[in-house]
Amino acid sequence: MTTSLFVGVFAGAILSGTSLLYATLGETIVERGGIVNLGLEGVLLVGASVGFAVTVATKSAWLGVAAAAIGGGLTNLLFGWLVIVRKANQLASGLAIMFFGVGASALIGGPYVGAVIAGLPKWRPSFLAALSWVKPTTLFNYDILVWCVVPIAVLVWWILFQTRWGLALRAAGESPTAVFASGRNPAVFQLQGLLVGGVLGGLGGAHLSLSLTLTWAEGMTAGRGFIAIALVIFSKWHPIRAIAGALIFGGAEALQLQLQARGAEISPFLLDMIPYVLTLLVLLAWGGAGRLAAPASLGRTFYGSE
Amino acid sequence: MKRLGLVGLLLVLAAFLMVPPAFAASTPQLIIGAIYVGSVNDYGYNRSFHDALTEVAKNLPGIKLLEAENVPESADAEPVMENMIQQGAKLIFPTSFGHQEPAFNVSKRHPDVYFYHAGGWMQSANFGNYFGNTQTAWYPMGVAAGKMTKSNKLGFVIGIPIGFAVGNVNAFELGARSVNPKVQTIVVVTGGWSDKAKEAAAANALVDQGCDVVAMHVDSPATVIQTVEARGAMSIGFQSIEARVLAPKGWITGLGFTWASFFTDVAKSVIAGTFKAQSVHQGLEKGGMVAVAPFGASVPTNVRKLVTDSVASVANGFNPFTGPITDNTGVVQIKAGESWGGDKMGDFSWYVDGVVGKVK
Amino acid sequence: MSAERSIQGCRSFPVLRLSARYAGVAAIVLVVFAGVLLLAGKDPIKAYADTFRYSLANFYGFSELLVRMTPLILTAVAVAIPSRLGLINVGGEGQLFMGAWAATAAALLLPWLPVWILLPVVTVLGFAGGAFWAAIPGILRARKLVNETIATLLLNYVAPLIVSYFIFGPWRSAESSAYPQSPAFPEAARLPSLFNTRINFGLFIALTVLLAYWFLMEKTRWGVDMRSIGGNAEAAQRLGIPVATYVVVALAIGGGIAGLAGMEEVSGIHHHLTQGLSPGYGFTGFLIAWLAGGRPLGMLLMTFLFAVLISAGDILQISQGLPYSVVNILLAMILFVVLNRNFGGRWSK
Repeated sequence: MTTSLFVGVFAGAILSGTSLLYATLGETIVERGGIVNLGLEGVLLVGASVGFAVTVATKSAWLGVAAAAIGGGLTNLLFGWLVIVRKANQLASGLAIMFFGVGASALIGGPYVGAVIAGLPKWRPSFLAALSWVKPTTLFNYDILVWCVVPIAVLVWWILFQTRWGLALRAAGESPTAVFASGRNPAVFQLQGLLVGGVLGGLGGAHLSLSLTLTWAEGMTAGRGFIAIALVIFSKWHPIRAIAGALIFGGAEALQLQLQARGAEISPFLLDMIPYVLTLLVLLAWGGAGRLAAPASLGRTFYGSE
Repeated sequence: MKRLGLVGLLLVLAAFLMVPPAFAASTPQLIIGAIYVGSVNDYGYNRSFHDALTEVAKNLPGIKLLEAENVPESADAEPVMENMIQQGAKLIFPTSFGHQEPAFNVSKRHPDVYFYHAGGWMQSANFGNYFGNTQTAWYPMGVAAGKMTKSNKLGFVIGIPIGFAVGNVNAFELGARSVNPKVQTIVVVTGGWSDKAKEAAAANALVDQGCDVVAMHVDSPATVIQTVEARGAMSIGFQSIEARVLAPKGWITGLGFTWASFFTDVAKSVIAGTFKAQSVHQGLEKGGMVAVAPFGASVPTNVRKLVTDSVASVANGFNPFTGPITDNTGVVQIKAGESWGGDKMGDFSWYVDGVVGKVK
Repeated sequence: MSAERSIQGCRSFPVLRLSARYAGVAAIVLVVFAGVLLLAGKDPIKAYADTFRYSLANFYGFSELLVRMTPLILTAVAVAIPSRLGLINVGGEGQLFMGAWAATAAALLLPWLPVWILLPVVTVLGFAGGAFWAAIPGILRARKLVNETIATLLLNYVAPLIVSYFIFGPWRSAESSAYPQSPAFPEAARLPSLFNTRINFGLFIALTVLLAYWFLMEKTRWGVDMRSIGGNAEAAQRLGIPVATYVVVALAIGGGIAGLAGMEEVSGIHHHLTQGLSPGYGFTGFLIAWLAGGRPLGMLLMTFLFAVLISAGDILQISQGLPYSVVNILLAMILFVVLNRNFGGRWSK
């Protein structure tokens, strides 16, 4: 019994898009605070490798997820120390973190390559499983990271836009001087944002190694970190729009494989271009207004009162 | 800062001047170098070479093994091999298809170093090639799949659609057809030998399409097998017969590489000074390069017998690529009375009738 | 960063102080790497000895260093030129691939031309491919539509996909259906190699470009104009300098130079268009240019340092069983140290 193309792509998009969405949510928080982390790829790799290593060593995928979250958070804090405390150039620091993540993940995961894990347990509510069009697919048969990603996106939205902490973080991203003038230190909020962002990035990496592929290989994120950076822009730094974006971007990858399985002949490379080209087109479509959607102080290091 | 810099310069110079004399603990009889396109712990292709070489080092005295992983299939492989030669390697095994040209270039510069390349065709006085005849070996795998499938749809995940991989698919479908005329094989290409996320998505796509037996030609069968097992479908493994532990319920059988006896012969010939560069292709015959994995628990006895008989016939010389064979667009590719031998296994640019897919 | 300070700084830098400064970085590198090696359970002295023996004290090894430096010099200049205007070009990877693509197009479509025509055509097209790829973000930035950092970054990932499409499709080599690459370059389209090594004529191209960069920036009016735009674009505009034109041209030229790197790799080293052309040359070039603050001599020294690091990674993997990934960590640590001391003070944005 075969599934329709739409169902197949949608199901594939959810699986593929989950790690993307976690990474995007993390980077959204960070960028709302005015910081650009080009090294997101490194954070994802650290999360994936640490998660896998701990899972193999302790035989517990839950501990693996926790370790991945911690690993991601620490990596982002390292980045934060460089750009906020030491006031270093954000782009160069981001690239440094990327190299660091590539190298560290290879060292951490190296001894564990080829190990077999059971991975995160999947769960499907029985009333959905009974549906005939659902049963043979992967729909709704998900591990906890997939089940939680949309609620977490909503939570991120709520934190950013409905709490005072979120307001302060966004203010730090728009105008650090104003925050400073109001008696608070924007750096504190930015560092906290980086920690949360790193945790989410680590979870994104964990999903790749502990659920999607059940393995670790060097560089297995294959550019997802950069796709997530594009996705943040594409969704205008808004966590809810990021959900749709992750589905589209994740769907593009699933689409080309599903099409192949149906004997259709579209070049997989052209389909792989979709996330990047789409983001550029969207930026073009906004015209100059795109720059207004970004946090005004994005990328600039705050130098204190000068 | 200036003083630190000068001190640093002096330290650097001092360190280099202190280069200790390099004396080896004991001189090895033969230093063998091997370059891998991926990691040796991949449960698959790269591991098969590593395991074989480790066995050679155990069986022959005085062998030192130099290995490099993640060596790209491009001109960047040359300096790696040159480094090995600098460190005394006299026999080099480039193990991936794409290492051929760079290895050949290096071999031209060092006529006293011997090379045996896996999967190529280039040859010279000090450069030979070899590979396991996996293509003919996939025929009995097809027989197994054709008998075990209930949906008459088989899936095949390929990394890069090179001629050898296409040939594997063709033999698979031919074997399946021989016991089940209605069976189809759907091919999905991931674009790389080792892209795990795409392999998982590809396996899912195949199962979505109704395939209940999935085979693969990627560096490591692990991800595909595990994904397929989780969906309740059956799998046929490749590259390493150990992969069967990954699919306790759905494993049918599989193929693996056993290079050790060939490698031992080559190493001995280098030590004895009788190296001859040839084009060596072995298959399922006894002591050959390809081995069949044990059957999974769910395979019934009559199927086992069919497959074992098929294996024996291939080992005795049966060539499934005997004409007439039509491709999946209706063109006759191998005419009646013709057959394609081991040397043409890299030339496949078409899929046989019954395969869903295009060699782009 | 005021234009005045930049002009002053460049003119009066004694060579000795410069090399001591970079030697400081080198010293930090060596100490940190020794630490990493000790942690990995290896002997640093032997590691350094091996590196020295097989890459510096060794003809073939030294030639490989020059081979590695060639594309790096080019991708570093590709970043440095736009940076004079305050523009950030992280698109070296993509521009390199497009340069390689265009060069391959020339080589495959015009194989009958004699070498003294074909090779220059291939070179020019290599430049054009990269220039085109960078001009797109240039125009977008000049019109204030898209920030060039983002645009160049996104296009980085599109270019290799275009190359793959051609390799698997229209340019698929029939002679070896075994692996995906374009047909081999005709002899007339290959950069000649020197001394029976892999060093090719591209090295001279790279050094010439570096020299031209120095000359352009220090000795011409354009260089002065660019620096004043970099200092204060609005003021420069009011002085009558056509800022938008400079933006597009600077990015295009930068991209073209990265394209030359791609052309050099494909015409001088690989002789085919393949997927694995660049192990991160574009990003490494960015870091080199940033570490050197855009100064030509500094870029040359940094390129050398990076080339030694990469070679060391290869050598140590074989001789010490060290995973190549250690090089990445080393690279990251060097950057951490440098970033920590705000070394790249000129670019602290």
